[in-house]
Amino acid sequence: MKKILSVASGLLFLTLVFTWWLNSREPKPVKLIPTLSGQPEYCITCHADVPEISASHPIATFGCVSCHGGERLALNADLAHSTMRGGANPSDLSVVEASCGGSNCHSGSEADDRHHIQRVMTSVQSTYAGAIANIRYTFGAQTDLNAHYDISAITDDQTKTGITALLAFDPASETNPSIQKFGENCLTCHINATPREGETYTRQTGCAACHSTEQHTLTTAIPYTQCNACHNRGNYDLRTMTFTERTDHPTQRIDDYYQPIAQFTQCEYTLDCVDCHTRSEVMGDGDLHASQKDIQYVQCKTCHGTLTELPLTKTLTNLNDIAFRMSFLNPVVDLEPGDTIIITENGEPFWNTRVLSDGTYEMIGKATSQYFTFKPVMGSNCTQSGEDQSSAYCHECHAVER
Amino acid sequence: MSEISRRDFLKLARDGFLYLSGALALGGLLRFLEYDPNPAPKTEFDLGSASNFPLNSRTLLSNPQAVLLHTENGFSALSLVCTHLGCTVEQKTDGFTCPCHGSRFDSNGTVINGPAEKPLRSLRVETTNEGNLKLFTA
Repeated sequence: MKKILSVASGLLFLTLVFTWWLNSREPKPVKLIPTLSGQPEYCITCHADVPEISASHPIATFGCVSCHGGERLALNADLAHSTMRGGANPSDLSVVEASCGGSNCHSGSEADDRHHIQRVMTSVQSTYAGAIANIRYTFGAQTDLNAHYDISAITDDQTKTGITALLAFDPASETNPSIQKFGENCLTCHINATPREGETYTRQTGCAACHSTEQHTLTTAIPYTQCNACHNRGNYDLRTMTFTERTDHPTQRIDDYYQPIAQFTQCEYTLDCVDCHTRSEVMGDGDLHASQKDIQYVQCKTCHGTLTELPLTKTLTNLNDIAFRMSFLNPVVDLEPGDTIIITENGEPFWNTRVLSDGTYEMIGKATSQYFTFKPVMGSNCTQSGEDQSSAYCHECHAVER
Repeated sequence: MSEISRRDFLKLARDGFLYLSGALALGGLLRFLEYDPNPAPKTEFDLGSASNFPLNSRTLLSNPQAVLLHTENGFSALSLVCTHLGCTVEQKTDGFTCPCHGSRFDSNGTVINGPAEKPLRSLRVETTNEGNLKLFTA
């Protein structure tokens, strides 16, 4: 009996030593108390090497949980990750309100210009309303080109466009085979869709589709390559309702930017998309629109004016002007009160421009920080009709040779 | 030296293992009880002797993030936590700037421009009988 007791006590001791040893191999908990939540979280015990996502979202302020969700006190990976939002991407539109929303963050008021989520949810990049309407009209499923369907159902009670609701597009309920195939093959570009396979299509979904150019990065300095994850990668064949990838392998920006068939001016390929296309064009303006044409409005004359009119400008006086906020987030230019910038016909600021004292203009690339100077059309030898701002019309004289 | 009997050895081993196991278990229990993964945030801070902060000084504190002011009216403190989302504002020559979203405050903490809408928070400072300063964040 005594022998058994001695062996049992030895086993108990060994078991306790082994348990202690196992426990000592666990990572030491590293606590972070972000100022935003004031609640401890232990994510950096394992994720200390994750880079800061942006200067606007420092980890000391936001921590991890306020955006990603998860079990903040858990040290076991499975438990800690069990309640994360959107997997590794909390900006996926299915969870974006919980992750990025809030009146001081990205679902604030329109007056404060903080209704980013509302804008994205209703933008044509999310709804794909124009493409769906066009295909349904082409194949006889609807009698007009009005938008009736969205990727998912959405309503807009305060519409300024007259579109108060869009129904969820369900390809399976369509009778025309071409529309069904459209549903199968052609819905990979809307902002919350899983992208096509292949390196050139690599992007995330939701906000990160545009704003995350590298792993765990958020930026407003979006290069054209990010836009090209969806745009200019190929063509949809309406006959077979399939996507045909580009077959060229461009090595220079001039070839990479657009598809081989396209014409463009120098500024269209030396600048990045976000240098000219405004926030409301790209992210939406908070209203449902029938198609891309209804939201895209920037033209050559927005920056260059016409023979009879200079581009619209504005001298910045109010420190709360959105132009200052934008330039703070992407400080390629140090805007000061008193600076005069170009604005669009809708009053959106080209905050990365400046009117120079000699009457010329300067634009600083949002993604490249390059300086570009340009002159107004007024006073030049241009023979344009200011009324016609179509792409082909300006390209007639100003397209670059490839 | 007398040889230890087998019986005594077993007894010694058993007792030794049991005592060691007890010690290990007790150690583990104490470690478990001592560990608080979710402590309440500290709201009271001892800043040391008031004499360390001369008249007309502005002293940046790192814990808590605040600036301690000593004027003829006495001691006061401003939180350096931005009232927009909680980033730590940076002291500039003419006030404070938030490095996250660009809010600016004058040297009294009043908002110059947003997105912050509220001024920097004033924190309570008390002098103890021993002449030390205590700062309260809640």
